[in-house]
Amino acid sequence: MKKKLCSLMAIVLICAMALGGCGGAAQSSAPAASGEAPAGDAKSDVTVTYYSMWNETEPQGQTIAEAAEAFKEKTGITVDINWQGRDIRKTLQPALDAGQEVDLFDEDLERVNGTWGKYLLNVEDLAAKSYDTTDGKPLTDVINKKLVDLARSLGPDGKLSTIPYQPSTFLVMYNKDIFKTAGITAVPKTWEEWLDACAKIKAAGKTPITVDDAYMASLFGYHMARLIGKDKTLAMVENKKIDDPAVQTFGEQWKEMYDKGYISKNAAGNIYPAGQQEVASGDVAMYLNGTWLPNEIKNSAPADFNWGTFAYPAVGKDGDGPEANQYGAQCFGINKDSKHAEEAFQFIVFMTTGEWDNKLAAESIGVPMANDATWPTQLADAKAVLDATTTRYPWAVGMENDADINAKIKTNFALLVSGKLDAKGFADAMKK
Amino acid sequence: MKTKNKSMIVIFLAPAIFLYTMVFLYPTIRTVIMSFFKVEGVTDAVSAWKFNGLGNFRTLFHTPLFMSALQNISLIWLVGGVGVMLVSLLFGVILTSGVHGKSFFRSVIYLPNVISAVAMGTMWINYVYNPNFGLLSSILKTLGFSEAAATQWTGPEMVFWSMLVAYCFGMVGYHMLIWMSGIERIPVDFYEAATIEGANVFQRFSKITLPLLKGVCRTNIVLWTVSTMAFFVWSQLFSPVNLSASTVTPMSYMYELVFGASNSAITVRDSGAGAAIGVILTIVVVIVFLFTQLIVRHDDVEL
Repeated sequence: MKKKLCSLMAIVLICAMALGGCGGAAQSSAPAASGEAPAGDAKSDVTVTYYSMWNETEPQGQTIAEAAEAFKEKTGITVDINWQGRDIRKTLQPALDAGQEVDLFDEDLERVNGTWGKYLLNVEDLAAKSYDTTDGKPLTDVINKKLVDLARSLGPDGKLSTIPYQPSTFLVMYNKDIFKTAGITAVPKTWEEWLDACAKIKAAGKTPITVDDAYMASLFGYHMARLIGKDKTLAMVENKKIDDPAVQTFGEQWKEMYDKGYISKNAAGNIYPAGQQEVASGDVAMYLNGTWLPNEIKNSAPADFNWGTFAYPAVGKDGDGPEANQYGAQCFGINKDSKHAEEAFQFIVFMTTGEWDNKLAAESIGVPMANDATWPTQLADAKAVLDATTTRYPWAVGMENDADINAKIKTNFALLVSGKLDAKGFADAMKK
Repeated sequence: MKTKNKSMIVIFLAPAIFLYTMVFLYPTIRTVIMSFFKVEGVTDAVSAWKFNGLGNFRTLFHTPLFMSALQNISLIWLVGGVGVMLVSLLFGVILTSGVHGKSFFRSVIYLPNVISAVAMGTMWINYVYNPNFGLLSSILKTLGFSEAAATQWTGPEMVFWSMLVAYCFGMVGYHMLIWMSGIERIPVDFYEAATIEGANVFQRFSKITLPLLKGVCRTNIVLWTVSTMAFFVWSQLFSPVNLSASTVTPMSYMYELVFGASNSAITVRDSGAGAAIGVILTIVVVIVFLFTQLIVRHDDVEL
């Protein structure tokens, strides 16, 4: 009997240990009513848990780690950073659902608001306050208004729930030295000027443009929006039918680019990041990409790479002009169940204004968030494009929203620019 | 004595059964149930699930990308399987035939299994298939086949086969070892007797080695099936940012559906359909297992 009791106790003990292990993370925390920011001032002896989309070794990760130390020195608040990298797309939601202590997290502005919107704290009140690095003004007055408006429009109920940082614009990134050698004095604003520039670059012995599989859908989306406008382009994705007559026009124009040798002969087989490496090597002049490109290829491009940027040119009279561009940002969001929302917000302000905003931009060759900050020289032209942008495209003008459409573009565009499909063949294949 | 044994059995088995239930049985049952529901996030509360009947399965079989994934995985299993089995068997037979440097060649052929698939994939994409300076291009140029040298090995027409060759290259060593262990179990006397009787090398192989390797063959097919169904890393390497029709496999499509893993800022997450893919893959593995039991019967000669 005694032995049986011992056995039973052993089993209970093991089960209790296992259950304790499983349930240990599920701490109960009272959710803030209606997602409003809790009242009260920030305390200095707390720890803010931050799930970061960066890896510790990336320039952004290194700068944020340094900033967290400086923040602790200044305020006494510890920021405990969990470096999740892009795996945050897999790990954050299970952590939040399990009730783990996550006060602060970040990712792409559209993703955070769209996918994780229900976990976000409304930060309108916190953003309306002034902080010591905001010069007595509300935070929203000293950081990029375009991005704040975007964050508000994407936020749950149209309210500001995230604070953007590291803004980015999607445009033509080019090698200024190649343009100069080819005798191009002004960036192309129309398709005719574009073809003319391509001819000059080709004559100068360089390849005008390249792409890789990761950005083919973006190129197709941009070009279609320039041909028929943003709304009609997005409608095709919505209806899952890439069947507008302009698809054939796209085919004709890019077949011409292929026939004249204006697109890299490797473009069809370029697996990311092979295309952008062609730009880094100095063989290719242009690449439709984001303002993050100089940072991504800085290790393989020469240190004095002469970067230029311009908006994708106007292509047809029925489409958008250079005033329409995709822009976005990374953003910080605060968990609505966080007990340290004020402290987490203080860290957001610390990162998006003043010294650390500038440092993050400089270290990652990125765009700063504060209005009075200076953009890195590599992206100086991009500021003008962003300022002149009046219509915002969503990412890839929606072409990546549907995995089937994205895959179809990748296959058929590659066949088009390797001469295996003509314009009609391309349009027919896209309709299927 | 009897009672003592029983309590010991309970003590030692209970933790294992408990853990097995928690980490295997519970997720499996939950996944099967989830496959019949409309579920967005994989950790969504059960109260948020909406019953969808066979809707997830219907949707999947009407999705071109999933159909491409099934086609790709079938080709990987069949074409890759036949290739890997034949080449690994050939190597196995050669290395067990008393050739010099057996250990060295065995290690060399097995080496790709030790290296991470990510490193192997990077090597193949950048140093074998690169059209400017890759190994294939350089060899073909040297031989004077300039047109073939310009082939886009990672273009949409060739990328599937390029990926398959790269994957199979790494799998040969693993299956070769299994063949070798089977061949080495066959008594040398059989071969000696056959040689005295005048059997040549092909006769010895087809009349002795092959019939006695039926059990090993079955093991190889099941292991190949299981590893093929989990084909994921190579698919990601040959299409790193978002899915391509030529390289997509059920696992990579499941990853996309469950985690919204692509580059797009807005991705449709559908964990219910992801669970349905898991169920389909399990059924396929079970069918292949039963099929191999049927065609390769348990009539091994006891050695």
